[in-house]
Amino acid sequence: MDTTTQPTNTQPSAIEKVFAFVDERVGLKTLQAKMLNEPVPGGSRWAYVFGSVLLFIFIMQAVTGILLMFYYVPTADHAYASTQYIIHSVDYGWFLLGYHFWGSTAMVVCVFAHMSQVFLWGAYKKPRELIWLVGLALFGIVMGFGFTGYLLPWDQRAYWATTVGVEIMDKTPLLGDFMARFLKGGATPGQMTLSRFFVIHVMVLPAALMGLAGLHVFLFRKAGPAGPFRGTVEEIKAKTDYFFPRQIWKDIVGMVLVFLCICSLAFWEPVVLLEEATPDPGDYHPEPEWYFLFLFQLLRLKIFAGEFGQFLGAIALPGAFMALLAALPFIDRSPERNIFKRPIALIGWIVVMASILIFTVAAIINREFLE
Amino acid sequence: MQPKLKSKVRCSDSEVGEVRRVIMDPLSHEISHIVVGAGAADSVERQVPMGQVQGVAEEVVTLRGTSAEYATLPAFKRDEYVTTHEVEIAHLEDRIHVTPGEVLVPFPELERSVKRRTFFANFTHAIGFLIGLPLAFPVLRYLMKPMYSPFDNQWLKIGNSGKIKQDDVGVQFKYKRKIKEAYMPEQEIDKNVWVLKATPKVLESIYQGKDMEFRDATGKALWTNKKDVPYIAFSGKCPHLGCGFKWRTHKTLGQVFLCPCHLSIYDAAGKVLDGPAPRALDPLPIKVTAAGEITIIDMEFKAGTKAQVRIV
Amino acid sequence: MTGRETMSSFKLGLSILWPACWTALPIKMAFAMLFMAMGTIHLETKLGITFLMLLMTPVSVFAFFVISLGVGFHFGEGTGLPLLFLLSIPIDIWSLGLVARTVFLERLRLEPPASLGVGLWVRFAVAGAIYLPFLWVVQGGATDLARSITKSILDMDMLKAMPVAERIGLEFTAWGSASLVVLVALTFVGLSILGKLVEGRAAAAKPAGDTYQDLISRWDMIRVPADQSLMLTAFTAAGAVLSLLFWAVLPVSTPHPHECCKPPTEAVAPSFDAQKSLSKGEKAFKDAELKIAAIEQRAAEDEKEKQKGGKDKAGVKEGSPKSDGKPSQSAAGKPAGSGK
Repeated sequence: MDTTTQPTNTQPSAIEKVFAFVDERVGLKTLQAKMLNEPVPGGSRWAYVFGSVLLFIFIMQAVTGILLMFYYVPTADHAYASTQYIIHSVDYGWFLLGYHFWGSTAMVVCVFAHMSQVFLWGAYKKPRELIWLVGLALFGIVMGFGFTGYLLPWDQRAYWATTVGVEIMDKTPLLGDFMARFLKGGATPGQMTLSRFFVIHVMVLPAALMGLAGLHVFLFRKAGPAGPFRGTVEEIKAKTDYFFPRQIWKDIVGMVLVFLCICSLAFWEPVVLLEEATPDPGDYHPEPEWYFLFLFQLLRLKIFAGEFGQFLGAIALPGAFMALLAALPFIDRSPERNIFKRPIALIGWIVVMASILIFTVAAIINREFLE
Repeated sequence: MQPKLKSKVRCSDSEVGEVRRVIMDPLSHEISHIVVGAGAADSVERQVPMGQVQGVAEEVVTLRGTSAEYATLPAFKRDEYVTTHEVEIAHLEDRIHVTPGEVLVPFPELERSVKRRTFFANFTHAIGFLIGLPLAFPVLRYLMKPMYSPFDNQWLKIGNSGKIKQDDVGVQFKYKRKIKEAYMPEQEIDKNVWVLKATPKVLESIYQGKDMEFRDATGKALWTNKKDVPYIAFSGKCPHLGCGFKWRTHKTLGQVFLCPCHLSIYDAAGKVLDGPAPRALDPLPIKVTAAGEITIIDMEFKAGTKAQVRIV
Repeated sequence: MTGRETMSSFKLGLSILWPACWTALPIKMAFAMLFMAMGTIHLETKLGITFLMLLMTPVSVFAFFVISLGVGFHFGEGTGLPLLFLLSIPIDIWSLGLVARTVFLERLRLEPPASLGVGLWVRFAVAGAIYLPFLWVVQGGATDLARSITKSILDMDMLKAMPVAERIGLEFTAWGSASLVVLVALTFVGLSILGKLVEGRAAAAKPAGDTYQDLISRWDMIRVPADQSLMLTAFTAAGAVLSLLFWAVLPVSTPHPHECCKPPTEAVAPSFDAQKSLSKGEKAFKDAELKIAAIEQRAAEDEKEKQKGGKDKAGVKEGSPKSDGKPSQSAAGKPAGSGK
C-alpha cells in the first residue's frame, strides 16, 4: 500500500449521519433493499410499466382534483358558475381542469393496457389469482371515478349523461330501483345527486382505490413478478436485473410520456362546457364519456330493445362478462403462459378489443343519424 | 433433507471441511450449491453443486468422488453473490430451511456495475424533478388568484353633510357596498364611516400642513384630499384589530372616538390618546359637492401595523 | 449457449423500427407539448393520424412533407408541425443508432458498424419518403373502394330495412376489416423492405465473439454515458430551461384553438340536409311556379295593352327552378381517429 497517499476523508457527511441515525432505529437500509432490490426475472421491460403509470396518473388526478376543489363548489346553484370561473378567470385554471379531464381518459386507456398486458402474459394464473381479482375491483373503481366525476360541472352534457346512466342502472333486477334512488338521492336528479356524486368521487372512491391499490401491490410483491412468458433459462438469467433502478427508470419514462400526452391533449381540446343543466334537454342528445360509448351503442341494437332487452344489454351481458373475467384464473388452470400457445385466450382478447372498438366508432358515426 | 450449516462435509476418502454457506437459485427456489470451507478463515472455500452431493444426513454431507476431485471444484467467489437480506425473493422461507444470512442468491451480472446503478438512479431523480417542475409555477399562480385582487376605487355616496350639526364631532354614516366575489352572485354589505366637520385646528392636526395623496396599486395618483376642505371621513375599522369604534364622551379626555374591543381612544383628529392602537385613524378620500352630498372611496387598511397598508 | 437468431426481414425491420419509434417519442413529445402551448400547432380532427406520423418519424420525416404537398392532405395548422418533424431528425438518428446496436449485439451477434444510426436513418427516411405516400394512396383507395362496396351492398332492397345501429356496426366492420387486411399487408411489405435495408448494413459486419451474458451487458452499458455528471447536468439544465419557456408561453386564460386559422377561402360549408333542402326546393319550386303564373298573366295582360300601344319591354322573368337537392354524403363527422 502506498504510504504517501492522502488520508481519505472518513468522516461521514451530515446527511449520512442522519441516515445512519434513522437506519439504526428503523432498519432503513434493509427496508430499502427489500423494497427496491427485487430481481425481475428476464429483466425490466417496458411492457411492465402500466401499473406504475396508473399509480402516477392517480396521484396526478388527486393533486389536480384537490387544486380544483379550491374553487369548485358542489351545489346546484354554484357548480356551473364555479367551474366556468376556474376555466375563464383563475390563472391556468383551464389547464389544470384540462389536465384532470384528459387524465381520466389516460387512466382508462392505461387500465385497458395494464389489464391486457396481465392477461396476455398469463399473469393471472396461479399463484396470482387474488391480484387479478383485486385488479378487477380497481377497474370498477376507475370506471366509477369517470362516471361520478362527469356530473360535477353540472352542464347539459354532465347532467343528461348521468341521468341516462343512472336510469340504465335502474334496470338491475331487485336492487335497481333502490340503487338508482340511492345514487340520485331521490326520484329525480338534483342537488342530492350532486352532493352524493361529489362525496363518492372525492372521498369514497379515492379511499377505496388507495386501500385496494395497496393490497394489489402487496399481493404482487408476495407472489413476485411473473416475468416473460418465453425464453431459455440462460436468456432469463442473463437479462435479470433489479426493480431499482432499471424498472423504476422505465416506469418514470412511461410516466413522462403519459404526462406529456395529457398536457398536449389539454392544449388540443380545452374543456368547454355546454349551457347549464336544465330539466329540459332541448336539442341536446345525451351521450356518456367515450369509454362508455360502446355500451351506449350496444343498447341501441334491436335485440336489446324493450325492458328485458335493456336489462340484458345493460346489466346481464356486462355482468356476465365481468363474472367471466373474475372466474378466469379458476377456469384457466393450465400453467402455460406463452400467449402464442394459448389460442383461445389470444382470439378472445382480439375479439373483445375489436368489439369494443367497433361499437365505440359506431357510436360516433351514429351521431349524424340523430339530427 | 436440506444440508445444515456447520455440517461436516466428507468425500469418499476424507473429511474436507464444513458447510459454510448455501446458495439458492432464485427462479426455482432450490438450493443449487453449498459452500464448503476448512479450518483457517482464509483457506480456499469451494462451491459444490448439489449434483456432487451424494447424501445429506443430520450432521454430515457426503460428496461423490475423492478429495482430489473436490480440490478441482471452482473456488467460491463471494462478489458474485448477495445475501437474502439484500434482495427480495418471494416465498423464500417456504422452501429454504437454513438460517438466513448465510443463504446467498446470485448477484445479477447487469447489476454489478455501480456506475450503471448510480446513473439510472440519478437519471430517475432528474426526470422526476422535471415532471413536477412545469406544474410548479402554474399551480402557484392558480392558488394565488384571489389573494391580491385589484382595488375597486369607485366613489360611493354615503349621505349629506346636512346630517352634521356640530363641528369637531364624529357622525356615523352608514352605507352599502356591492361586492362580487369570484363566481358568487353580487352581494351588498353594510359598512360605515365616521365623518367630521373639522375646525382649522383639528384640520392642522390631521394634515400637518400637507395635502393627503392617495395612490392606486401602480403608484399613480388617485385622489388628493385638500388640506383646507373641512370634511374628514375616517374608515370605520379601528387600526388596532379592525373592530368598529364609537364616538363617546370620556370621563377625562372629553369627546373622543372609543373602540370597545380593546379600549383604543382617539381624539377628533384621529390621533391616538390611549390604548393599544399602533397608528392614528385612517382618513379616506372624500368629496363634498356644493349641495352637501358626500362621496368617499371605500378603503380598508391592514390592522395592527404602524405603517398604513391598504388591503381593500 | 443460445444461438444466433435467424430473423426474417420483416421481423428484423420490426425489431428495429418499433423500439426506435418509441425511444424517440418522449423527447419529441416534450417539444410537441411546448409548441402546442405556444399555439404554433393546431390539429383539428387530425390528431390520431398526425400523432401516428410523428411516432414514425424514422420513416415518415420526409414522407410527411411529400404527403402534405403531394397528396394535399392537411395534417394541421401552424409552423410548429413542420418544425417538429425537422427537430425529430437528430433524435431519430440517435434512437435508431441505439436500438440497432442493441439488435446487432443481442440478436444478430454482430459487431455494430460505425455510424450505424446515421446510415440507417438515411436509408429509412428515404425508403419512407417513397413507400409511405404509396401506402397512403393505395390504402386510401382500398378504403374508399371497401366503403363504397359495403354501402352499395347495404343499400340493396333486401337490406334496406336494417335498423340504423346494426347497419352502422355492420358497415364499419365490413369495410374496416377489408381495409385492415390491406393495411396489414402493406405494413408487412414496408417492414420487410426496412429489414432488407438493415441486412445490407449487417452484411459487412463482423461477428461479435462475446458470450451471451457479455453481449447483454454490452448493450445494457451502451445506455450508460461515459461522463454521467455531464450528461445528467446537461439534461436537467435543458429540462429546466424548457420548463421556464413553458411557463412563459402557457396561456393564462383558456385558449380557443378552434377559432384559430380558418383560411378565408375555405369557408366551412353548412352541413347539407337532404330532406330539408328537398322540401325547401319543392316549396321554392311551387312558389316559383306561382310567381311564373302571375308574371305570365301580367305579361299577357301587358301584351294585350302594349299591343294596343307600343312594344313590350318587360322581359318575362322565368324563375329558374331551384337546383334539386342532390343528397350528397354528409361531409361532417369523419370517424374520429380512424379517418385518413
